[in-house]
Amino acid sequence: MSRKKELPSLWSGLDRKAMAVAEFTLRQQRKRLSTWVVLLVGMAAMGVLTMFYIDSMTRDYEAIDNDGDSYDWDGDGYPNGQERLHGTDIHDPDSHPGLLDPPVLPDDASVWINEDDFDWDALEEGSVGYDDNGDCNVEERTESQKDANRNRIPCDIQLTLNQYSGRYSVLSDGNVDEDPDDEAYALEAIHRSFVLAIGKLGVVFLIGIFVPLFMATGLIRQEMTSGTMHFMLAKPIARSEIFLYRILGFLAIAWTYVTLLIVLLAIVTGFAGPSEGIFRFSDLGVWLSVWLAALLAIMVYSMLFCMLGVLWKHGMVLALPIAAWELGMILTTLGAPDAAILRFSVIGWAMNIVDAGAALAWSDTPLLIQMGIWGGGYGPLEGAEALNTFASTPGLNLSALATMAVSGLVLVGQAALCWFLGSTLFKSKEIE
Amino acid sequence: MIPDVTQQGRPPSSDSLPPTPNFPVVYFHGVTKSYGRIHALSNITLALSGGVTGLLGMNGAGKSTLFKLLMGKLRPSAGEVKLFGTDPWKNPAPYAKVGFVPEHEKMHDWMTALDFVSTFARLHGMTRKEAQKEALRVLEFVGLADVANKEIGRFSKGMRQRTKIAHALVNDPELIILDEPLQGCDPLARTTIMNVIRELGKMGRTVLVSSHILNEIERITEQIVILHQGKLVALGNLHAIRERLDQIPHTIRIVGEDARSMAKDILDHPAVFGLSFPNETELLIQTYHFGQLHAELPRLIVENNHRVSVIDNPDDDLESLLNYLAGGSA
Repeated sequence: MSRKKELPSLWSGLDRKAMAVAEFTLRQQRKRLSTWVVLLVGMAAMGVLTMFYIDSMTRDYEAIDNDGDSYDWDGDGYPNGQERLHGTDIHDPDSHPGLLDPPVLPDDASVWINEDDFDWDALEEGSVGYDDNGDCNVEERTESQKDANRNRIPCDIQLTLNQYSGRYSVLSDGNVDEDPDDEAYALEAIHRSFVLAIGKLGVVFLIGIFVPLFMATGLIRQEMTSGTMHFMLAKPIARSEIFLYRILGFLAIAWTYVTLLIVLLAIVTGFAGPSEGIFRFSDLGVWLSVWLAALLAIMVYSMLFCMLGVLWKHGMVLALPIAAWELGMILTTLGAPDAAILRFSVIGWAMNIVDAGAALAWSDTPLLIQMGIWGGGYGPLEGAEALNTFASTPGLNLSALATMAVSGLVLVGQAALCWFLGSTLFKSKEIE
Repeated sequence: MIPDVTQQGRPPSSDSLPPTPNFPVVYFHGVTKSYGRIHALSNITLALSGGVTGLLGMNGAGKSTLFKLLMGKLRPSAGEVKLFGTDPWKNPAPYAKVGFVPEHEKMHDWMTALDFVSTFARLHGMTRKEAQKEALRVLEFVGLADVANKEIGRFSKGMRQRTKIAHALVNDPELIILDEPLQGCDPLARTTIMNVIRELGKMGRTVLVSSHILNEIERITEQIVILHQGKLVALGNLHAIRERLDQIPHTIRIVGEDARSMAKDILDHPAVFGLSFPNETELLIQTYHFGQLHAELPRLIVENNHRVSVIDNPDDDLESLLNYLAGGSA
């Protein structure tokens, strides 16, 4: 009856045990109602948030006359903008372009709404903008009026990037890009805000922390209290291996779940968001970084919470303050992504990855924020403040790819540390 | 804790060889396990190799504690525990040669018996296929082949117990440890399990089986270890231990038609030193020579034409044995 055929190598032996424990854990979790409840609640929460997003994408945004030049103050039938363009008096009903030679027919008021959108493409020069409606470069205006920002280029906007804050300062010559397309801006800004908000707060934080909290805290502890751990501990397998392979089994579920969730979100927002084609391929880079951050965050949290479960019967009680700390940290990343305190969190590093991914995929976000906050010189446009809240510059002062690499390594290191501490604790535990 | 100088840092040398003759399969030296001021086990020294050994003791005597020390689940407070010459607290390697049947009732009810046994077989490094094959073999051995694909949750107590035994046998172990395997089983399951244990003994395995019921152990093996209140009170052949029992006062109970007339005939026997009548049909005899009297009673009864329905020995239970042994060895 002895079984001494081929001697399995160390690796194949490990591999068999790892697969057995991971597979066992996966099947065990799958049989539990609580698993499905947690996963469905997470899915439902993301679904509800997505409905708000769909609503804001399909809503009509009122076109606002930001610079007020569609009004006809003197009641002569010519909008102020048209009168300014032709140099007639906007306050005098007897002075209007209709009296000029040749006479000019009055424009409809709507022509003077959203008539001067952003033309901020030529970034490198620092000089952007184009006077679409020609109300800056009017003959009657003096040269100093045309070049209010004194960069010796008339009727432009001077953008200066602040290297430290990553923000632009906007100096306009006046009447340039002063009446942007509110709807186009709002859709783009709200879309990006939503992708970042649900990616960071929803997927990486909420799913990333709560799925491990409910599913990984008991991975070792539940088996210890129910007495079923005895079967596994009576086999030639080290406790640190059991710890690791149980986590692997959990990750098989959690990683699949979060991947599915992100794919769904990417598809829905890709089709629903504003786009020139059918699908917003430009967002995929952001989703990829959300995915990477979520996988790593789930890995660290599951190791951490599983360790707390080994440490104490009520590991969940220990995990909750940590979840609260992480919540504080993710709120900090929104306002101060380079705060040093974020180094002592998991979520701070995960957020660096998302921010770096967003910086690569949407390199014009800081500009978009500044456009909206400037809003043609007439206050923030709808969506600008939301985007300003959820978009942050990656906090390490490194290039985007380097930020991703460093943050990824730190997260892997954190997971390894929790595994080491968890298995050390587990090894020193007497199992009754 | 005594430093473990024999194997620290290196794998057990006896990995592919049978246990080194110097090292018994199971070895306890001066082992104490205490929880605060309570000693669950105190100063146990014991070495076992080969054959079936019954570990006898009342609930709380320390049987499970002893097994858990051996299975590396508990760390001894003092002394040295070795399993195949290796400290089980530090190194799980010797479990490759061990099968353990824990006393815990809780199992993975959602698995089928085949799943359960083959999953844990894979922890011995078997492939999925090998594990499946070996699992079927051991399920057959314990008589569960026909329900191998049923969920454990639907099993009776005895079937669950046999599934646990099968899972422990799947690696073809040299040492099998069974913690109270008969507890809560119906008579049929008991018989099956006892047969399995005896069979394993015949196959030359070292088997350690615990129970708190003397006559269960008697039906399995003669070699016993008796624990009482955490102390090892007796070790050896059950019959030898029983003979010593003859030296202490014993009670024999006879239930018959006329207790008083029976008493008259039995009173003359030199071994009897006391009689009492709890009721009309029952007679209690006190004796110092239990074995002798027990052997002669049937003859006395037949010769005097008494009608007797029951002869038994109310003292012949574990508790009186333990009380005697604990008192005698203290």
